[in-house]
Amino acid sequence: MMILQPIIVLLGSAAIIPLIDLLGKKIGFEKIRDIVAIAAFLIAFIILYSFSGNLPQSFSIDPYGPPLGVELRVDNLSLYMAIIFCGLGLLVSIYSIKYMEVDSGLDKYYSLLLILVAGMIGVAFSNDFFNLYVFWEMMCIASYTLVSFRKYKWEPVEAGFKYLVMSTIGSLISLYGISLLYGLVGSLNFTKLHSAIETIYRNGSAPLSLLYLIICMIIVGFGVTAAMVPLHTWLPDAHPAAPSSISAMLSGVVIKTGVYAMFRSLFTIFQPKIFDFGTILMIFGVLTITIANFMALMQNDIKRLLAYSSIVNIGYILVGGGIGAYVLTHYGLKEASIAGIAIIGALLHILNHAISKGLLFLCSGCFTHEAKTRAISKLEGIGKKMPLSGLSLSIGLFNLAGVPPLSGFWSKLFIILAGLSIPENNFMISISIIVILNSIFAASYYLWLTQRIMLKKPTEIAEKVHEAPLSMVFPIIVLAILCILITIKLDLFIKIIELASNNLLGGV
Amino acid sequence: MNDILSIYLTTSILLIILGFYCISSKRNMIKTIIGIEIITSAINLNFITLGFSAYGVDYFAQSIAIISISIAACIAAVALSLILNVYKHYGSIDLRKLRRLRW
Repeated sequence: MMILQPIIVLLGSAAIIPLIDLLGKKIGFEKIRDIVAIAAFLIAFIILYSFSGNLPQSFSIDPYGPPLGVELRVDNLSLYMAIIFCGLGLLVSIYSIKYMEVDSGLDKYYSLLLILVAGMIGVAFSNDFFNLYVFWEMMCIASYTLVSFRKYKWEPVEAGFKYLVMSTIGSLISLYGISLLYGLVGSLNFTKLHSAIETIYRNGSAPLSLLYLIICMIIVGFGVTAAMVPLHTWLPDAHPAAPSSISAMLSGVVIKTGVYAMFRSLFTIFQPKIFDFGTILMIFGVLTITIANFMALMQNDIKRLLAYSSIVNIGYILVGGGIGAYVLTHYGLKEASIAGIAIIGALLHILNHAISKGLLFLCSGCFTHEAKTRAISKLEGIGKKMPLSGLSLSIGLFNLAGVPPLSGFWSKLFIILAGLSIPENNFMISISIIVILNSIFAASYYLWLTQRIMLKKPTEIAEKVHEAPLSMVFPIIVLAILCILITIKLDLFIKIIELASNNLLGGV
Repeated sequence: MNDILSIYLTTSILLIILGFYCISSKRNMIKTIIGIEIITSAINLNFITLGFSAYGVDYFAQSIAIISISIAACIAAVALSLILNVYKHYGSIDLRKLRRLRW
């Protein structure tokens, strides 16, 4: 029951916010709904933090107890993801107080934001596909609605519809794969599937092609939300169209939920030492990095550029997970430490990218809030007029570019080192070299963007702006400090992530 | 017994293909949503078929089908509200009109 508490807090406050808003309008203090939302995020965050001592915990829902099915389970990995989700949600809700002030219907905005985070925490906690699917759709429906929140403009409506159609088809494809798994095993619980699939493989009671078909369906289905390259086309439209606070949520955590669900289901159910899904992940990952890098270079819209750079970073995470699985398939337990390094790199990159991309989208929100434009050519030199957001923007960009002392460098280094560590394997070496070339290429446009925003002479539009209000700058500064803090306390974070990665590689 | 089950499984695959055809070829936005609903029904049919045994259909499969029907209804509601907004902006629900963003 304890496990359900953060989800109940978030969903409960999502339900009461419209009522509180009515009350607030009566007494003339409308900000009360913002305060309730922030308080809900804070309480959920504290509850999540209090889990950290006694793990793993599980909670199963009668009448389908643990042998059959529905179970929520918290281990280090899901807690790690849930804390990222909830923390970014907290900062975004603080940011929204001022940023969303001009919009109407804010009670619905906060309700949907809370439902979004509750859905993501549910995805992280669920230990069976039934729960996962329900929480998944809860998250997806909330994010469709939030993307098209400013429905009086044409862009959010179009982008929202496109996102809805693509993402729904993706989750239906994965649901079809899940139904085939149910037909094979008769249960959807991850722990049960883990042993049952191994037995099926040993007995040969189902054709191997069917099992690989299910793997592909899961990768494609969750890959739509994770924005893998052939399936990424919704993302560069949806992120710029959404309000900046929501772009930060989408790019920072929603697409990570796709990666998490993919990794968790693949690594737990289809043991990497039997099934070679690592190759598929690596190829998709490299394709994602390369294509998205070239697309990012051509953008003039700052949010569109950041959206493509999110796709690039998803590519790094996929490559990291792919290398981990590939090493386990082809070299088995004797190289398990290399797989561990790759997975640690991928998980550290999830954290780094969540923080720095959240920071960058919130900064771009500050710029668009003050300058009313998203074109980089018109925003040149704006960093001189808005020093706090400009400085934070450069810290975030440096972190993503992988400038050595910052933690973004270390996560990429882990992934690349793991790829290079088996010298006789040409496939992994070539993948790593493509990744290295791409990260140099990506660093160039990050630094170019920094130079244009920070160092150029301010344009006419940039001359007139002032620093954004304090409640908008505060979450940005917190995120910028976190970027640096992770770098300083890297050994501590790596210890936490190592525990989490053991959960992912648990069966090995 | 097995014959009947395989007929249902084939039907569900055919329905999925039909749904994809509907989504990819039809230009009317409402027909796109109908395509999504067809795929959802096909998957529900698949679940119920695979949960079938001599004692009847597994409760677990039934629960999933019911939940999935309600989720599909939510998605349809959101999608139709978006279509309503598209109609307000463009005066039409033709997908070809939505080309300002690259599809």
